[in-house]
Amino acid sequence: MFDQLAGNLLFGIVLGAVYGLATMGLSLIFGVLKIVNVGHGQFIMIGAYTAFWMFTLYKISPLGSLFIAFIIGLAVGLIIFYTIIKRLTGAPELTTLLATFATGIFIEELAKFFWGPDYRGYNWDLGRVDLGFTLLSYSKIYALLLSIAIAFLIYLWFQKTKLGMAIRAVVEDRQGAMVCGIDVQKVYALSFALGIALTVTSGVLVTLFVPVGINPYMGHEYTLKAFVIAVLGGLFSPWGAFYAGFIFGLLENGSYTVLSSIPGVEPFSLTRTVTFLVLLLILLIKPDGLLGGKNK
Amino acid sequence: MKRARVLCVVIAMFFLTGLNYGCARQSGVGQQAADKIVIGAPLSLSGKYAKEGQMALWGAEAIRRWINEVNGGIELSGKKLPVEFKYYDDESKKESVQSLVERLITVDKVDFLISPYSSDLALASAPIADSHRKVMITHGAATDRVYQQGYKYITQVYTPGSRYQTGFLDMIKNKDPEAKKAAFIYEDDEFSRSVINGARAYANKQGFEVVFDKTYPSKPTDLSPLIQELKTTKPDLIIGGGHFADGQLLTEQLSSLEVNVKAVSINVAPAIPDYYKALGVKAEGIMCPGQWEMGVKYSPEAAGKAGLEWFGPSQEDFAGLFNAAANQKPSYHAAGAGACLLIYARAVEKAQSLDPDKIREELGKLKMMNFFGTWDIDETGKQTGHNMVVTQWQAGENIVVWPPEAAGAKLFYPLPSWAEKARGTLAKE
Amino acid sequence: MSLKKYYEFLSLLVFYAVLFFLGLAIPGMWQPVSLIMFYVALGQCFNIFLGLTGYVDFGYVAFLAMGAYGMAIAVDLLHRQGLGVFIIFIGLVLAVLMSTLLSLAVGAVALRLRGAYFAIATIGVNEGFRYFIEGARLWGGSEGIIISGPLRQSLGPQTVNYLSTFVADVLVFLIAILAAFVTARIINGKMGYAMMALREDEDAAKVIGVNVTKYKIIAFVISASFAGLLGACAWTLKMTYVFPADVFLITYTIEAIAIVMLGGAGTLLGPAAGGLIYGILKYYLAIKLPGLQLLILAPLLIIIIVIFPEGVVGTIKKRGAWRPWNS
Repeated sequence: MFDQLAGNLLFGIVLGAVYGLATMGLSLIFGVLKIVNVGHGQFIMIGAYTAFWMFTLYKISPLGSLFIAFIIGLAVGLIIFYTIIKRLTGAPELTTLLATFATGIFIEELAKFFWGPDYRGYNWDLGRVDLGFTLLSYSKIYALLLSIAIAFLIYLWFQKTKLGMAIRAVVEDRQGAMVCGIDVQKVYALSFALGIALTVTSGVLVTLFVPVGINPYMGHEYTLKAFVIAVLGGLFSPWGAFYAGFIFGLLENGSYTVLSSIPGVEPFSLTRTVTFLVLLLILLIKPDGLLGGKNK
Repeated sequence: MKRARVLCVVIAMFFLTGLNYGCARQSGVGQQAADKIVIGAPLSLSGKYAKEGQMALWGAEAIRRWINEVNGGIELSGKKLPVEFKYYDDESKKESVQSLVERLITVDKVDFLISPYSSDLALASAPIADSHRKVMITHGAATDRVYQQGYKYITQVYTPGSRYQTGFLDMIKNKDPEAKKAAFIYEDDEFSRSVINGARAYANKQGFEVVFDKTYPSKPTDLSPLIQELKTTKPDLIIGGGHFADGQLLTEQLSSLEVNVKAVSINVAPAIPDYYKALGVKAEGIMCPGQWEMGVKYSPEAAGKAGLEWFGPSQEDFAGLFNAAANQKPSYHAAGAGACLLIYARAVEKAQSLDPDKIREELGKLKMMNFFGTWDIDETGKQTGHNMVVTQWQAGENIVVWPPEAAGAKLFYPLPSWAEKARGTLAKE
Repeated sequence: MSLKKYYEFLSLLVFYAVLFFLGLAIPGMWQPVSLIMFYVALGQCFNIFLGLTGYVDFGYVAFLAMGAYGMAIAVDLLHRQGLGVFIIFIGLVLAVLMSTLLSLAVGAVALRLRGAYFAIATIGVNEGFRYFIEGARLWGGSEGIIISGPLRQSLGPQTVNYLSTFVADVLVFLIAILAAFVTARIINGKMGYAMMALREDEDAAKVIGVNVTKYKIIAFVISASFAGLLGACAWTLKMTYVFPADVFLITYTIEAIAIVMLGGAGTLLGPAAGGLIYGILKYYLAIKLPGLQLLILAPLLIIIIVIFPEGVVGTIKKRGAWRPWNS
């Protein structure tokens, strides 16, 4: 039984890292632009397809696809910002919520139109490590390490580069930033694009964890999980989101072991109820998130 | 001023309504001339059943062409009438289903219906089909409960859910009577439950020991907690799955957690070519219950031996017609939908009538075989003659391995271990 | 009750009447009309909360689901009691009861939150509750409840067909009318002013003494109760089954939002216009361009949001004063 719990928790951590990276994009966009990107999952889908096509057509490994996905994400993010988001500054929250949702739908329908509703997958099997209580494939280890590495790189970027500091300045004090000569519109555009880029990149990492079942509609489950994680970590804080990802992964997989000791129920389905209950609790008790903090 | 504006809005809405009315008028052509037979269906060309719907459409088209071009049409009252197939996209949503079925019945004046794909959509369409007294053959609505609701005009071409995995169990018992420990890992949804309920009951009856019986919610992103637990029960065989994505996920994670068992039978997912393309060698040896697969041995000779009449194209002819439209090989969704048209054609020719009651009666009496398999329904409309085949991926090909009369190759048993497969071992002698 | 104030409501009634007779008069139009009415009713019910308070309840479909379950449970438990058609009334009552109870529970928790937090909390409720039903195997679990068999046995097939293909839709009409009426009453009364203040600036409203919480709760619960009725009629009664996977779909919430936005949030005629346009678009796209509906509707929605955020009715009303978001 403890073997299983350990195994569950380990997988939870790996998965959590990937979820966490994905949610960083969501929290970044919300932190800077105060927009909830309801189409979040569809960008993960784009990342997944990127990894798939690069591997299948050009034999590029998912590691290489990370860069490609990042660039694609930046490009897509900028396009969406300048065509849609920019025109909505000043609009009530509901409107932007709906706009991002409609954008998400449009993206997945385009994906279906071009790539078909088929279920894709690829095989980048590097073998596994026998840990005694479970087997961990190397691709999952990559997913974990790369998530942490990318998150750390982003953190450094925010701390050290001019652009990064500009973004932080705008979040802290928009008027002050403008006074300092920072072009707030460009900061918004960049933040949005960066958020999308992070999300698309995490899509590649998702396929490292699960390289099959890739289809245009795969994004929705990830959107839901991202919301929970974002709230857990504090909607404003990308770093919080990353840490919260781990907590979420541990919670989701770990609670299975606890729930499976209850007779007469379906434990795995209940893990989802548990995660959403936690979401509600956090919203009630500590809406700034467990790791709250409006800044950074 | 405000009143004027409101008036404008109201007038605009009246206008739109009138437009609605006008469009309906145009497309609703007068009466149905008795010079063709129209079969209609709401198909899911978008939404969650998009893939199945597309396959069904191509399959129906292929058979329609066979009936009209090869068979010359359906013989009714001395004339040979062509078949027309009308369809609309229900987007896999239940709201759309009833309005589309009504349109098919009242505007397109279809003579017969094929249900939308899936049990929930078929249930949604049942009241309206029933109220208009239109016969409906369901495809994809495998859940037994659909046929327990007392609908008179609903019949089934697929094997019902309760018999999905029973063939697999028979096959294993036949091959290896010592393999007794069965694990069920499946999606917590209506269809998968109907399959596993049937499998569980049958397994218990046949002397298997169910050592693991757990579900996962729809659209999982990770099954490792379940699989870790399953591994500790050391089963001989695994039965489960749900739909496409989770079936692929299940296989992939069984592989990465190296759960080695003697046989695996997964619902739905391994039946499509996508499965092998996505999983590669990992898919070797995985089995799937299928309503149909290229390579089944249904033929005029087999029909004769079973004492049934035969009607329709051979499977090669069907595949050829299908390929012309779809540029790929047909799946069982395609074959099932096509079979519906064949059944109607035969029933009309035998009953020499289009009257729903006569046709329904004929459907009940009809015992025939076509390229899809046997048709023999009970009084509730449930399919009792058609059997599932069990297919297995062998060296990159999905081949029928059970029942023996339909098999194209011998069962490869036991499964190669995941490590062996990674080294390139295929599930072929 | 000045007639002038209810001018809009009366024109709405006329519109509904026209649709009703069109559906009856033209062969093959009843079901498309009822599809449109479903969307109109959905919009009207949702507008009571979204339009009046400006809050987005992303978990709205859970109330429809509760209503659907209410009707199903009533039939499932009582069909052998020989109650005849009265069982439908019990179903409706149970539907409203269940959806209202859920809304009270959810409201107590979620309505303390603002903006995006509220939206996310309500998603949490929807998803969490659905997996609770499946996980705890409540009310049939993932297998749900099918009422066609039991209902056909106790009432006879003809009656049940009639209920499913006609009565259920008439009830939807009634729900749309009732919801519109309630909306009209609220807008034209003291509550309407309070809601408007709330919608424009919640903090300012609180400062001037408006009991913001009370009005939010009232709108929330009323909107949810109507949703329960709608779910019971348009889903369980019409489709004759409830599967959790089918009734907790966030798609319906999004459709509700889209319809209200399309037509004009907060207006009385808005949901009707939105429902009409959405229903017609959906129906004809399904016929003419199968497979491409969403590919067309999604960018259309984006364009509407960006360029015509007041919706059809709102833009027409403000004809001279059209200004995009950031001028």
